[in-house]
Amino acid sequence: MLRKLLITFWLLSLPGLAWADSQWVLDQSTLTYHVSHPLHQFDGVSHVAKGKGICSNGECSFLIAVPVKSFDSGDSNRDLHMLQVTRGAEFPYVTVRTRLPESAATSATITLDLEVQFAGQTFEYKQVPFQRSVQGTETRITGTIPAKLTDFKIDPPTLLTMPIKNEIPVRVDLSWRPMQ
Amino acid sequence: MLPNIARRSRTCLTSLASALLIIISVPSLMAQVMGELTGTVTDPAGTPVAFAFVTATNVETGRALPAATATDGSYRFSLPSGNYRIRFESRGYDMQEIPAANVTALSTVVENSVLAPVEQPQGNTTAEQAQKTAPSASNKPQEPSLEDLGISPSQAKGNAREQALLDRRSHMLKIHQRLGLITIAPLGATLITSAFAGGRETSRASRDAHAALGTATVGMYFTTAYFAIRAPKIPGTKTRGPIRLHKTLAWIHGPGMVLTPILGEMAFAQKSRGERVHGIASAHGPVAIVTAGAFGLAVVSVSFKF
Repeated sequence: MLRKLLITFWLLSLPGLAWADSQWVLDQSTLTYHVSHPLHQFDGVSHVAKGKGICSNGECSFLIAVPVKSFDSGDSNRDLHMLQVTRGAEFPYVTVRTRLPESAATSATITLDLEVQFAGQTFEYKQVPFQRSVQGTETRITGTIPAKLTDFKIDPPTLLTMPIKNEIPVRVDLSWRPMQ
Repeated sequence: MLPNIARRSRTCLTSLASALLIIISVPSLMAQVMGELTGTVTDPAGTPVAFAFVTATNVETGRALPAATATDGSYRFSLPSGNYRIRFESRGYDMQEIPAANVTALSTVVENSVLAPVEQPQGNTTAEQAQKTAPSASNKPQEPSLEDLGISPSQAKGNAREQALLDRRSHMLKIHQRLGLITIAPLGATLITSAFAGGRETSRASRDAHAALGTATVGMYFTTAYFAIRAPKIPGTKTRGPIRLHKTLAWIHGPGMVLTPILGEMAFAQKSRGERVHGIASAHGPVAIVTAGAFGLAVVSVSFKF
């Protein structure tokens, strides 16, 4: 009897142990930057971000990396120009790091402190709100990073001598799944 | 008549010579002046430290350039002139920094580094044990790294030469864009003065003015084209978007800019002889209009989103 109870207790405790030291992997991603110019507006999209999250000791640490040259605005000339002004050949990846308590990862809205490395500079965005929804085994995170060119010491590119706006908000749509 | 033709020829020659001078002097103006920073990273025993991170930070601008050492411990930067702070980092070694290395144009600066191993924690703990105990001691979660994402140090490493190529390309295309916009002015003026150059009652002075403006337009046009043609191509880039139309239109206005002055010269000669413009020379006007239209559309195609 005692043996059965011990086995039952051990089996029940397994999911808890797994949660305590879990890992997450980025399954699908869409990162979209938006640029405004006096003559027109455009978006650059990337779907090739890679990401991983490690949870231990009640805290989760996430890292997302995306190649700068993977952003596609539908115009190769413009993309090369963006690659040049953002020093994309010298600094091929944009990386985003964040940490959050494991307990916060269950809320519908989460606010994150993000450390973004881009164009050879590091900038921290405090208390950025994200929406969280669960679809089957996947956890979807959506939100917008209020990025500015000046945060990364990037000179605004110009068209017909007119510069683009300093604000380049980056819309984030990430689907995470627990690592097996 | 002869002095006028001679004067016109001089005007044309002067304009063409000026355009040619600009074209010839461009490569020397565009030359990128870079210096090299190189060296080797070793441990105290002289063994090369492979894949060590080397960061060269321009002291004036704060711009940081990363690199990693090769398997023989060597590293190399191609840098614009300036003072650089160099940092050497590798797992298991203490970080080392060289506060200032002066890189000058067309010269090579050698800065070697000897990294000292990290001191063992007290209490006879091995480095392996220290690594195992550190996270729980600090109560911090394990941090994912780029290697965890399948991104190798060589993939994460920047390519200064490719960046220099991109910089040069953008610089040349900016000049191309500005000159293209400036060319609209003489092109428009040439089109306006054509109304006073081709009719029966036109004067020699108005034809001379039209020819001079046309010559200036052609000179400006080919200088503009030079910067687009000579701008470095980035390998592996597939042309997409409005730039395709912009490039396609060049196949119309390019030959047009060659044909128009030739036909114009023929028409000019016929008018100067008191003849009515005839034969192939009568195509000067239509060819010029198609050329100007294609050029204008090429400018618009990359200026506005349709």
